[in-house]
Amino acid sequence: MRKSHPIRRVVLTTAATVSGIVLLLSLKPGSDPASAAAGAAPGAPGAAQESAQGGAGAAAASTVTGDAAQTQYGVVQVRLTVAGGKITKAEAVQAPKGGRSDSVTADAVPKLNQEAVAAQGADIDAVSGATYTSAGYRQSLQSAIDKAKAAPAPSAPASQSGGGAARTVTGAVAQTQYGPVQVRVTVSGGRITAAQAVQAPKGGESDQKTALAVPRLNREAVAAGSADIDSVSGATYTSEGYKKSLQSALDRAGG
Amino acid sequence: MTTTIAGGRAARRQTMRRIRPRRSPAVPLLIAVWAGAAGVLWLWWANTPSIADDDSRILNAGRITGLLAGYLMALVVLQMARVPALERRVGSDRVARWHAMSGRYTLCLVVAHVFLIMWGYALQAGKSLGDIVQQTVDSIDQLPDMGKAAIGTGLLVLIGLVSAGGVRRRMPYDTWYHVHLLTYAAVFLTFWHQITTGNDFAVEPAAKTAWYALYGTVTALVLWYRILTPIRLNLRHRMRVEAVIEETPGIVSVLIGGRRLHRMGAEAGQFFRWRFLAPGMRFSSHPYSLSAAPRPDLLRITVKAIGDHSAALRELSPGTRVWAEGPYGALTASRRSRGKVLLVAGGVGITPMRALFETLPGAAGDITLLYRANSTQDLALWDELAKIADERGARLMYAVNSPDGERPDISAESLQRKIPDIDHHDVFMCGPAGFAQTVYDALRGAGVPARRIHHESFEM
Repeated sequence: MRKSHPIRRVVLTTAATVSGIVLLLSLKPGSDPASAAAGAAPGAPGAAQESAQGGAGAAAASTVTGDAAQTQYGVVQVRLTVAGGKITKAEAVQAPKGGRSDSVTADAVPKLNQEAVAAQGADIDAVSGATYTSAGYRQSLQSAIDKAKAAPAPSAPASQSGGGAARTVTGAVAQTQYGPVQVRVTVSGGRITAAQAVQAPKGGESDQKTALAVPRLNREAVAAGSADIDSVSGATYTSEGYKKSLQSALDRAGG
Repeated sequence: MTTTIAGGRAARRQTMRRIRPRRSPAVPLLIAVWAGAAGVLWLWWANTPSIADDDSRILNAGRITGLLAGYLMALVVLQMARVPALERRVGSDRVARWHAMSGRYTLCLVVAHVFLIMWGYALQAGKSLGDIVQQTVDSIDQLPDMGKAAIGTGLLVLIGLVSAGGVRRRMPYDTWYHVHLLTYAAVFLTFWHQITTGNDFAVEPAAKTAWYALYGTVTALVLWYRILTPIRLNLRHRMRVEAVIEETPGIVSVLIGGRRLHRMGAEAGQFFRWRFLAPGMRFSSHPYSLSAAPRPDLLRITVKAIGDHSAALRELSPGTRVWAEGPYGALTASRRSRGKVLLVAGGVGITPMRALFETLPGAAGDITLLYRANSTQDLALWDELAKIADERGARLMYAVNSPDGERPDISAESLQRKIPDIDHHDVFMCGPAGFAQTVYDALRGAGVPARRIHHESFEM
């Protein structure tokens, strides 16, 4: 039975907590070390080595998609076009959306794209007012560069392998608010001939939404030939997951 | 245990062999708690590549406080899950103090978390600290599960206010208790935003699994030990009030009958939480110690009428159904490390001491009971204590105020004078906080090491 000193205990606990947190914060480096890219988000679409759409020419430009990087406001994912060992184009296939993020993304992403091409590396400055998006962008960019180095451009684009030979490819599972979404596409002659969801949210209200949204998303995917499709209203989360998994399926299919 | 006690060296050796003090698992448990906290901080560390500016410093401070609060919240609930290892080995009183302390700390972390995160978001959005309210409203509106989290946080703050010392003392115990039960709702509501908006759980599926496992385990323990175990206990033993006996003015004993009560595993020195299914009493349960060793057909509690509830006990009619939860408490014979034992009781604190006095194994002269009360009329249960002392060859002493109201002298010197080998005793103590503190200081002064003073106190 020790004598208790409530005030002393409160002061000590507060001081210990505050100094512990300040210590942790100050031990973190101020700028992103290059190795941070290694800690890219799992659950992101799988390795993405892909040939450029219709890139049959001599330049053999190839596109590489980096791992998705999670930020406070959403996922950032960068795709690079590399030709002759140089970055010729950088674009964000995913960037934070919704609310204020729309304007931040519209402002920051083009700047970051330019910087990436100019710097030919991931050592680019953050756009002020878009710290998180910039950090995520750098992380995904670094991972795309690593992938481009690891696997040089293929000598012959895979999608050009003759007329028919339809292939089915299943995308990575995309987690959503209401459950996992997973898309399988049939690719033939470089085109999507069929798309279907092998997994979609189930149970309760989700059943209805899935029944409504998935057929529409399937049609859109075939029509668009890419993952750049509109969300079905009332099923935003499912649509987002669908697009994510579709993108990963297309990446795996090699264009 | 009581029947085989006789003098002589053989019996004494026999007794000593049975004395194997059980270590309290408090230290390993605390180490596990700290290790878990370190793991949570590591999770943050591993998922945070860099901190560029003050905005992210504030935001990350918010994330750290949030992660720690989420972790501690599970432990705060776990502490009240009535897990036997905590209740019977660490001790209900100590666990209750941990619960109060960590509950206050967790609430502070929650408030700091909300403030820091919203401040950080506001700064990131190019606004200032002044826009924090608008930022909070926006975040509740836009981010998943934040509405639930906001309600849960509101409940937590309410519970915190109601539990603050000044408010709680002015409030009926039942009201406070029922408000406190809202904690479960609050924890449930705040859980989901941790998973859906927590950066570390979005990035690290293993962390998400671990978080579900932590909260799932706590939920299972609460369901098992707070709901299913008591139901099983009461269906099995079917307890009813047998009789109510007035011991001294203001102190009553309640005799409780039931089936195979010895199978409940209660030991002398332990208590149950009792709920008497009589009008006006069925909605609250109260902890009262057993004042005699449990018999197969009978338990006895002895209660001083101080609160409404304890006063109403006097009016209980025989046959009233009794709902009990327990046994709880670590003030049992298993704490003992020596052959000789001094029991110290203050007022109605005699109840667990009376049970221990009867049942602690020991040869003649090994056991001493010191009983402090205001006057000789207030020495409840004195006759039976005297009888036990006589049968066992135990020593029984009392200390009461002198007729002019002067308090008896309880000091290191007076204790040493009465019990010359006091530093060779284990001391079990039960009584009001002020009295316990006086005796504790006197015992330490008389050379009794702190680890051999066993005390239970429900003062926060």
